[in-house]
Amino acid sequence: MTRDPRAFFALDTGAATASAALVARLAGRWRLLGALALPAAVGGEVACRTLLERLVGADPGMAAAVGVDPAALDRIPTVAVRSGPPRQVAVVAGSERALAPLARSAVRAGWSVRQGSAATLDPLAMSRLLLDPGVDAILAGAGDPPGADERGALPELAALVAAVAERRPDLTIVLAGALTDELARFGDVASRPGEVLLGAAATASADGHGLGELLSELALPPDDSRRAAIVGVTTLAEMTARRVEYVEIGFDAGVRAVADPTLGRDEPAVQSAVVTAAALAPPEPDDAVLDRVLGWSTLNLDRHRLRDRLRELRINPWAGAAGDGAALRLAAGRAALGRLMDATEGMHGSAAPDLVVAGGGAWAVAPGPVVTLALADVLRRPGATQYAYDHARLLGPLGSIADPDERRSVLADLADDLLVPLGSVITPAGLRHGRSVGRLVLHAESGDTELDLVPGGLELVDLAPGQTAVADFRFRDSVRLGGKGRQFEVEVAGGLGGLLVDLRDVPLKLPERHDRRREQLEAWQASLWAGLDQ
Amino acid sequence: MSDRAVAANGLGLDLVTVRPLLEEAIDVRFALAPGDRVIVEDGASVTVGAPLAERYRDTVLTEASLPEGTEGRPGARWTPPEPGRRGPGRPVGRGQGRRSGGELLFPWRHGWRVASGEHGEPLDSPVTGIVREVIPGVHIIVRAAGRAVRGIVALGGAARGRLQLAAGPSGELRPGGLDVGLADTILVVGARVDAETLTRARAMGVRGIVVAGLSSKERRDFLASEARQRAALHRLPPFAVLVLDGAVRRSIAGPVVGLLEALEGREVAIVTDPPALVFDEPDVEPAAPPIDLVRVRSGADAGREGRWIASLGPRRFEHGVLLEAAQVRFAEGPAVVPIGDLERFSLGPVRAE
Repeated sequence: MTRDPRAFFALDTGAATASAALVARLAGRWRLLGALALPAAVGGEVACRTLLERLVGADPGMAAAVGVDPAALDRIPTVAVRSGPPRQVAVVAGSERALAPLARSAVRAGWSVRQGSAATLDPLAMSRLLLDPGVDAILAGAGDPPGADERGALPELAALVAAVAERRPDLTIVLAGALTDELARFGDVASRPGEVLLGAAATASADGHGLGELLSELALPPDDSRRAAIVGVTTLAEMTARRVEYVEIGFDAGVRAVADPTLGRDEPAVQSAVVTAAALAPPEPDDAVLDRVLGWSTLNLDRHRLRDRLRELRINPWAGAAGDGAALRLAAGRAALGRLMDATEGMHGSAAPDLVVAGGGAWAVAPGPVVTLALADVLRRPGATQYAYDHARLLGPLGSIADPDERRSVLADLADDLLVPLGSVITPAGLRHGRSVGRLVLHAESGDTELDLVPGGLELVDLAPGQTAVADFRFRDSVRLGGKGRQFEVEVAGGLGGLLVDLRDVPLKLPERHDRRREQLEAWQASLWAGLDQ
Repeated sequence: MSDRAVAANGLGLDLVTVRPLLEEAIDVRFALAPGDRVIVEDGASVTVGAPLAERYRDTVLTEASLPEGTEGRPGARWTPPEPGRRGPGRPVGRGQGRRSGGELLFPWRHGWRVASGEHGEPLDSPVTGIVREVIPGVHIIVRAAGRAVRGIVALGGAARGRLQLAAGPSGELRPGGLDVGLADTILVVGARVDAETLTRARAMGVRGIVVAGLSSKERRDFLASEARQRAALHRLPPFAVLVLDGAVRRSIAGPVVGLLEALEGREVAIVTDPPALVFDEPDVEPAAPPIDLVRVRSGADAGREGRWIASLGPRRFEHGVLLEAAQVRFAEGPAVVPIGDLERFSLGPVRAE
């Protein structure tokens, strides 16, 4: 990006998907000319070449104008990020109380976590845990100062971890809190191939902010697409002066980032987490995963068949995406998003963000309005929020541009192409049951639309992408919509799903019986899914 | 038509995921637990049946102190002294460790914590190869001679036997189809198999099963049966199940069937990590699959095979889903299929980009 090119590829290669986008300078600004996603095994190079060939086939004049030629593919610069399978960390501590915040820090930092404490594992079982060949790193921690419940166990724990470190010198070892005092047991740490690092204590309240950053650095390589996307979202929040929340459900992990505009501060305010347990289809779907997917499923599948389908989705993430495969992905996506929100509980205030950006393969096959509904089903916060989708997977590659000014400039140019506007969702909370709780008048350029607000349902109002309107709400009783009150005027933006007025409960209440729940979910989904009967 | 020719003709076959039929010189990992006794060393050549290690059940934690002047290190073996021996170096042991010795875990107070087990069981190599890495308590890695066909998962323990095709590629083996005459064989059983057939096969002395799909329920039932078997005092020989494709029923891929037919009657091994069928038969030369042969990997049509016609670009499929599509000629005629559903085959490994 320093040679002032006229075009470049943005390439995001994940475990399941290779996504290429061709960005070129047209009329003095960067524009997205096209994007293509293919199975990762096919490779990014094939995706880039195919994209270019399609551009040349569709508009040779434009291809010539931006100076791209399929015969000289390797001369076009590429901004590339990638994501690989998660690394595994074994988290150990002297007590269960001390273990919980350590494990939480690791879970949010993108590690696949196995854990145990001296209170529940004897030294033999803990040795088995740490010596498992799947383990890439060990996080051994304690409070600082250590609590009474863990103090007695720390010397033996340190001796055990040091012995494992000697046996497996390739392992990265992180000592946190008071266990850093035991560094001498690890001998000459400079001579071993795996690092021995010292981190801050993780506490129940602070989770060891410094420790979290250290663990993120270790878990995700510098060119990791998730890390880069978080930077991209932070830049987006800064550019738009809006609170932006990014939720990505990918093959190997879920990502959540909440970025606030800097508003004159030196450092952007962003909280983020990469959670492997929030992968679309975990490698071994346990009963908890299964129950959650079953809870969101509109398909009539028993537990065994659903488990088979999830396994197949894991083995062949691109296969069977049409038909009920799309519905399965949406159910698995909602379930994964729920796991992501659980793992990042407390990361945000209760206020709804201004903009939610969805990313990842989970949302790739369903129509935009249905994706909006899926997100609104899980992200239930009272307020008005605009939803968008990173359709070309550009946030990662663009977030990886090292120079902040250049990154901001490219993102600003691409603002209209970067995200597909899914629509706006308005979710009032605290509605009383009854026939009608009030009225909505939508003042749009095309005219006014009036709606009776019936609690428990969804109201869909057409509002095309690019259009804005003012929604004037008059409730009979006081409700929560950002603040508490009876009258609200909310500026809304259109999208593929228009304006969705979500009058369902917050949090969402669904029938207990599977068949009734399925019918309810199906009814909501069918109202937004054009082509469902095809 | 060569790969390059297909791509150059604009037919877009390179948009389809390639599945390599064979891999050479794979590294096979044999997991160890603390307390297991390693027999081989780094760099050693091993032949089929050569002992790699002794695995112990019922491993317990014991304590021991080493003779004076002896320096221990984690992972080293500790052997209890002969009964009746006296002196300052006498180890202090208790429980099982007193009889069988064990593995030093970590120094603690004035001695060592030791993992000590009883009921040792030999871990024999199912393949010929060279030991690449030995880490006591962790694993032994052997680079296997010969070639391997990868599966998606292998259950049970590594096993070896004579390969026999017991059902057609889209068939299914039922418990009634098994008899003791199949002892010491690895059976190719077609599209699916149930847990009852698997447990019966193990009881009959069959060494392994190769199958295209194994459902989650059958997998769970088999693993429960395997765990019970593992807990029994007198165990049966290792038994392995290699799943080639996934969790739902589908035919074994045509090119894989061709290879298995060529191997019928020969000695093969199933290894679990990575899940693969390993054979060392240099004279078996599988035919290269047709370049335009494609197979549906998953979904309702899983296992169907056809010939590639051309890529079509984005198309709408059922439920209005927009996907990259291709036209494929199946036996019933041409059809439009999402490209993501398809795979094609190469004889050897695919070169990384």
